[in-house]
Amino acid sequence: MTTTDKPAQESTLGSPSPDEPGAQTLTLSVGPQHSGSGHMRLIVELDGDIIINAEPDPGYVHRGIEKIIELRNIIRSIPVIERPSIIDASNLNHAWVKAIEELQGVEPPARGQYLRCLLNEMNRIMSHLYWLSIYGVFLGHTTMFMWPLGDRELFIDLAESLTGARITYSYLVPGGVRRDLPQGFAEEAIKRTEYFEKRLDEYENIFFKNPLFTSRAKGVGVLSRQRAIELGATGPTLRGSGVEADLRKDEPYAAYGELDFKVHTRPDGDSYSRVMVHVDEMRESSQLIRQILEKMPSGPVRRKAPIVVPRGEAYSRVESARGECSFYMIGEGGDKPYRARYITGSYRNMAAISAVLQGVRLADMPTSWWSIDYWPVEADR
Amino acid sequence: MSAQKPAQSDDPIELLADSMNVWVGKLSDIVHKVIDTEPIRNVINWARMYSLWPVNITTACCSAEFGAASGARHDLERFGVLPYGSLRQSDLIVIEGTITKKMAKRLRMIYDQMAIPRYVIAMGDCAISGGLFHDSYSIVNGAHEFLPVDVFVPGCPPRPEALEHGIIMLQEKIRNSKVYPQS
Ligand code: SF4
Repeated sequence: MTTTDKPAQESTLGSPSPDEPGAQTLTLSVGPQHSGSGHMRLIVELDGDIIINAEPDPGYVHRGIEKIIELRNIIRSIPVIERPSIIDASNLNHAWVKAIEELQGVEPPARGQYLRCLLNEMNRIMSHLYWLSIYGVFLGHTTMFMWPLGDRELFIDLAESLTGARITYSYLVPGGVRRDLPQGFAEEAIKRTEYFEKRLDEYENIFFKNPLFTSRAKGVGVLSRQRAIELGATGPTLRGSGVEADLRKDEPYAAYGELDFKVHTRPDGDSYSRVMVHVDEMRESSQLIRQILEKMPSGPVRRKAPIVVPRGEAYSRVESARGECSFYMIGEGGDKPYRARYITGSYRNMAAISAVLQGVRLADMPTSWWSIDYWPVEADR
Repeated sequence: MSAQKPAQSDDPIELLADSMNVWVGKLSDIVHKVIDTEPIRNVINWARMYSLWPVNITTACCSAEFGAASGARHDLERFGVLPYGSLRQSDLIVIEGTITKKMAKRLRMIYDQMAIPRYVIAMGDCAISGGLFHDSYSIVNGAHEFLPVDVFVPGCPPRPEALEHGIIMLQEKIRNSKVYPQS
């Protein structure tokens, strides 16, 4: 038997010094084929099971919408505008028609404005419910997947009777809305919203007070008030960090100036706060729907507006379900805008993803980033 | 002088293996034929039809209607369609709308990693021909350009009922198909 005097080096090869930066971290690529990622990829750097850095990799749904709306006339662009956030179609559509009306100098009739608000609020509820159902899936709570989707159909039916489509309405057009309320809509809507509010109480018992949810949401994924403002977060994410900002209140558009509603905020900025802001907003919107139907004036719903974008520049913004959605439009006098810049709530909130995920456990990653209400299709446009 | 026989190894083990290969090949042919006979094939196809688990990949806005179809009221699970996280255990890709160039590569990768039998449903006009975004610079006009598609479900977005109809059509297709596809 021979012996060697070489020191045993193999044992030290695989383990670099633990003090070296990056020595003990693991980089994971989550998505796009992953139940916790949606239409995007998250590049997550882990230390043990604590996330030390998370980078979103967007662009899987980038369809070049800003270019496409330069190629179609303003009416044909409406379906394209809606597609980024198909579950919140009416609010995005509102930003578009608002920018065009600003250029044209057309003011829709009062009833048209109320009808716009009606569909906006229904859409806000539908969008929040869809979001809540996915939140339930990410938490492994199947009941919370089924219930919100089931109750969402209440409003889908209403919207379908109003506009003729389940989720893609193309209801708002420059100058007003496409059609008036169908017969018996108000009674049906009041019945359904009242039922829906009762259902929200049931959600409270099965989910919002459930330790399964609270223990994984309270104090997890904190976005402080200061940080949220710095990152330019918007919508429920911003309000979940305690900032009272809502364009419906701050810059009342359509009929919102005449309506009575509260802006809901929560001070903590954690996952739980963001979820509860959504829930409070659903209650508020449900109440708003009844209020709108009660206060709705009579008269025409649409004023004649030319299919033309006059020369000039306009900027419009509205409060969509996911935050501020805005259009910056340059007109040249043709039937298409020369250029339209399209910014959505999710796009603004993308910066908050890294901030929220820092220091969160990997198991809490899906719920934490989803609590931002980030809809990748909307962010990529 | 007669033509030379092809060179054969003298190693008895290799000879045995060669003849075994021939026999195993024949045997598997026979087994395939037996399995593809009526009663056995029906049982296997029946099992495949009602456990179509789509892999969790969402490509665009049709996913909203896919979500609605999996939820209460429409409940795709009654057809055996349960969205599932792991592609190795999945049988079905439902392409939910627009396929961007960035996503097309991933879709192909996912398809290649899935176990046979695997099926593809192209949902929405965008996945069929580009639909609303046919003139965009960043999309692929139709899933058939890089994947074999079994069922097309038109609509923008298709209603959940349309998707259900597509699933039933796929099940019909599986019912009449062979156990061992040629591909
Ligand atoms: S078919 Fe319509 S709904 Fe579906 S992805 Fe395309 S644009 Fe979106």
